Amino acid sequence: MPATDFQGSFGRSLLTLRRDQVDSSHHHQPSTTMEVELDSFQRQVAEKFIDLNASAGENNLLSLDWISKLLDSFLCCQEEFRAIIFNHRSQISTPPMDRLLSDYFERSIKALDVCNAIRDGIEQIRQWQKLSDIVISALDSSHRPVGEGQLRRAKKALIDLAIGMLDEKDHSSTTNLSHRNRSFGRVKDNHHRSFGHFRSLSWSVSRSWSASKQLQALANNLTNPKPNDVAASNGLAVPVYTMTSVLLFVMWVLVAAIPCQDRGLQVNFFVPRHYQWAVPVMSLHDKIVEESKRRDRKNCCGLLKEIGRIEKSSRVMNELIDSIQFPLSEERESEVKQRVEELVEVHEGLKNGLDPFERKVREVFHRIVRSRTESLDSLC
Amino acid sequence: MEKPGDHATESETLPHKSNDLENTNHSHESEHQSHNNDSTEKATPESESESESSQLSLTQVMEAVDDFIQSLSSSTDPLQEIPPAVEPFPETVDSLVSKMESSGLGRDETEDSAFIDAVNRISISVMRLRELNLDSTPVSSWLNRASSVQHHAVSLLDEEFRHLLDRSIENNNKKKNDHDESDNNDEREDAFPDFPPESIATLKKIAGAMISAGYETECCMSYETSRRHAFKEELSGMGYEGIVNNVEDVQRIPWESLQGEIASWISIVRRCSSVLLPGEISLCNAVLPEQDHAKIRKRLLTGFLSTVTIRFLDFSGAVVLTKRSSEKLFKFLDMYETLRELALAVEQSDSDLIHEIKLAQTRLGEAAVTIFGELENSIKTDIGRTPVPSGAVHPLTRYTMNYLKYACEYKDTLDQVFQHYEKAESDQTEPEPENQREDDEEYKTSAFARQMIRVMELLDANLEIKSALYRDPSLRSIFLMNNGRYILQKIKGSTEIRDLMGQAWTRKRSTELRQYHKSYQRETWGKVLQCMNQEGLQVNGKVSKTALKERFKIFNNMFDEIHKTQSTWIVNDEQMQSELRVSIAALVIPAYRSFFGRYKQHIDSGRHTDKYVKYQPEDIESVIDDLFDGNPASMGRKRT
Repeated sequence: MPATDFQGSFGRSLLTLRRDQVDSSHHHQPSTTMEVELDSFQRQVAEKFIDLNASAGENNLLSLDWISKLLDSFLCCQEEFRAIIFNHRSQISTPPMDRLLSDYFERSIKALDVCNAIRDGIEQIRQWQKLSDIVISALDSSHRPVGEGQLRRAKKALIDLAIGMLDEKDHSSTTNLSHRNRSFGRVKDNHHRSFGHFRSLSWSVSRSWSASKQLQALANNLTNPKPNDVAASNGLAVPVYTMTSVLLFVMWVLVAAIPCQDRGLQVNFFVPRHYQWAVPVMSLHDKIVEESKRRDRKNCCGLLKEIGRIEKSSRVMNELIDSIQFPLSEERESEVKQRVEELVEVHEGLKNGLDPFERKVREVFHRIVRSRTESLDSLC
Repeated sequence: MEKPGDHATESETLPHKSNDLENTNHSHESEHQSHNNDSTEKATPESESESESSQLSLTQVMEAVDDFIQSLSSSTDPLQEIPPAVEPFPETVDSLVSKMESSGLGRDETEDSAFIDAVNRISISVMRLRELNLDSTPVSSWLNRASSVQHHAVSLLDEEFRHLLDRSIENNNKKKNDHDESDNNDEREDAFPDFPPESIATLKKIAGAMISAGYETECCMSYETSRRHAFKEELSGMGYEGIVNNVEDVQRIPWESLQGEIASWISIVRRCSSVLLPGEISLCNAVLPEQDHAKIRKRLLTGFLSTVTIRFLDFSGAVVLTKRSSEKLFKFLDMYETLRELALAVEQSDSDLIHEIKLAQTRLGEAAVTIFGELENSIKTDIGRTPVPSGAVHPLTRYTMNYLKYACEYKDTLDQVFQHYEKAESDQTEPEPENQREDDEEYKTSAFARQMIRVMELLDANLEIKSALYRDPSLRSIFLMNNGRYILQKIKGSTEIRDLMGQAWTRKRSTELRQYHKSYQRETWGKVLQCMNQEGLQVNGKVSKTALKERFKIFNNMFDEIHKTQSTWIVNDEQMQSELRVSIAALVIPAYRSFFGRYKQHIDSGRHTDKYVKYQPEDIESVIDDLFDGNPASMGRKRT
């Protein structure tokens, strides 16, 4: 029988005896401070993810804001995990903790590469932001009327945007797209910025790096700790497993949301239900998987909410412009104005949110490095 | 001369569909233009070449446009129509654009300037007109044509901009192929990026025009894309692509190979700091020199510097995650110093990037502190029970002193590193170190000196313990002398260490050495000298032959024993070896000579003189010369 079913009946794993899914507040007081510590960690993780579920709400899942919250949660959990390890550092150099921790650190190093790869994706989003900026300033409705030149300018930027947002696998359709958008006739407008330009400027990862492979490696062999290990480590195996799961989930979300090289979401992610945080985490996981399967987002380059919004607004704007005849009727003008306003809204969100988001990813990176170097230094 | 007003009505009736632009307006154009010439000129017939009339009118038209733009800001009446002089302007510019499309910019400076002037004017007029939010049809139709032409023109500028910027890559590649493959970096023209001044002038003009036209974003995007590409190519040319960047992969590389990667990284980052990045900064300043564009410039530079620099930090970050080991210290410090140069090169960047570089340095510094601490540990754990035979310099002493000597070459960097560390530690309220010495100035000022002294003190303590392993107190002293001398010589031999440790410390060690020397003399030769003492030799005023014989016998035995034993001992330092021998000789020979001279005759008369008087005074010296050679003595050698 799988060991997971017998969590409760082994050794000192009193914690796992009390692992009800939802409510642990009814249980009697734990007898040792270590158990309090470990228990509080489980509860904290659970609380964070329940919170994240709540704030995902109707439309907030995978927005910049929400992912930032997720990263904050990671940082908190990481901090507490670090404290636990520090408090029991006498145990970490003996089996099984030495093996378990070294395994955790190896995975966390893989996560570092994900953080670096994400940087390229964020940079790509910045380029889209600039392109939508062009559209907005070209169609600035405070100055009337919108001239043909402004429309052409906006159109060019929109084409570049559309090409840039193509999933890299759809490279072949690039030429089709540019042919389809020739309605403004001027041959010279064909010099588009995006022809593979951004993709060729992948600074942070080598050409052969693959986000999906990295995630799979991160998830490889991640299983619920064996009862032997839990007992032998005085329960410390459990927070290690917890932290690893959280790490994996966070990296998975980042890869899901932000464009990156060879982005793939097929990862076996499953947490046994008896963990307090299992339900909220799996619920988020399932929601995100569902999102990835939606027809309109199936082939997108990143599930970030803002990406979807830009794509939608710019597509609508593109269609509108295609349909315009000169001179512009008032009706058309107000339509343009409206679309521009929509675009402005998305644009503002990105403009304000992208830099802090990048900093947060960087902070996650540094925190992981820090915890690794601390453990290295403590070995000396 | 007909008034402009008369023509206004005419222009109103003309069709203004965009598609018909090219054909319908030209013929009307020349008609209008010819009427706008100076009154002294006759009206030119339509058969006159169009190019000639458009050339004549370009300057005139531009002047008219200037007046027009002026009037827009000052006039109170809402503009109803476009002045006839200005009317053909869009088409004029358009034909200019077509001309420049085929000839390209950067060939003729005058031509370029004229073109850009025209583009600037059309941009301004479009912008001003749009600000007025006018409704009149003639205006809006002119506006439409003008904005269309403007976009066409600025798009061309954009293309030319990129084309010019990209050309530097081709040039660089060509240069690389032309050069010899003798990879001497010093000889290579270290000009990057390599733009002729005319190109820079053109780039500057184009950038200015694009920004004035409101196409700032396009301009910046083109610049960025092109420069990033160029930079990437340049890095590639230096072999940067070969350096493993993946954090995970770096962990797997064995140290021997990783050292090579680090060396490449260092030379590349150095070149970036000293040549490439300053070059990019200069270029940006040259292309966007205007004070008005300061914000744009800063944004552009900051973005560029961040993107290209952060990648270097990826590698250093990956390296610092590898296991600590003492051999890595100096490479880590090299990287630390390289990052310092990098931080200076990107000073103008934003605080985020500088913060990142400092963080990367901190990680390296922390690792350095740990590794240096390893030295302390290796001293503490060197507790072998086997004493070094012959009392020679212990390998631990050699290792430690050589390590410290090498470390002192990085004195300033290590000082920085330890300062940072001490500050971090004091923030965590650590207890004060026990052996804090207040007397030395250097100790107070240099964090690294404090570390050095700690290590030395640990070494001393360790040597003290090791010396106790010797049962023979004389050998103990020799051992301490050997090691103490080695340490002192190493310190004296290096200005850095000497200055770091300070005079008082050096003097103290010298004093200690002298004390060991004295101990040795006392231990070994005290009794020998004692047996040559005159006391107790005379009984009732006469020299006791028995006592004398006994004395000589004792002397011989002692001396032989010393000879046998201490010949196998080693004194590593040649000078100290000779000093020792000299001091022993100075002690023993006169004493023996006087003893010998005085008392030999009393044994002379008896038989077996040789039994008792083994050594002539001259022999003593040759025996002493055998001492501390590390070779077993050949006994019984006697000088005849």
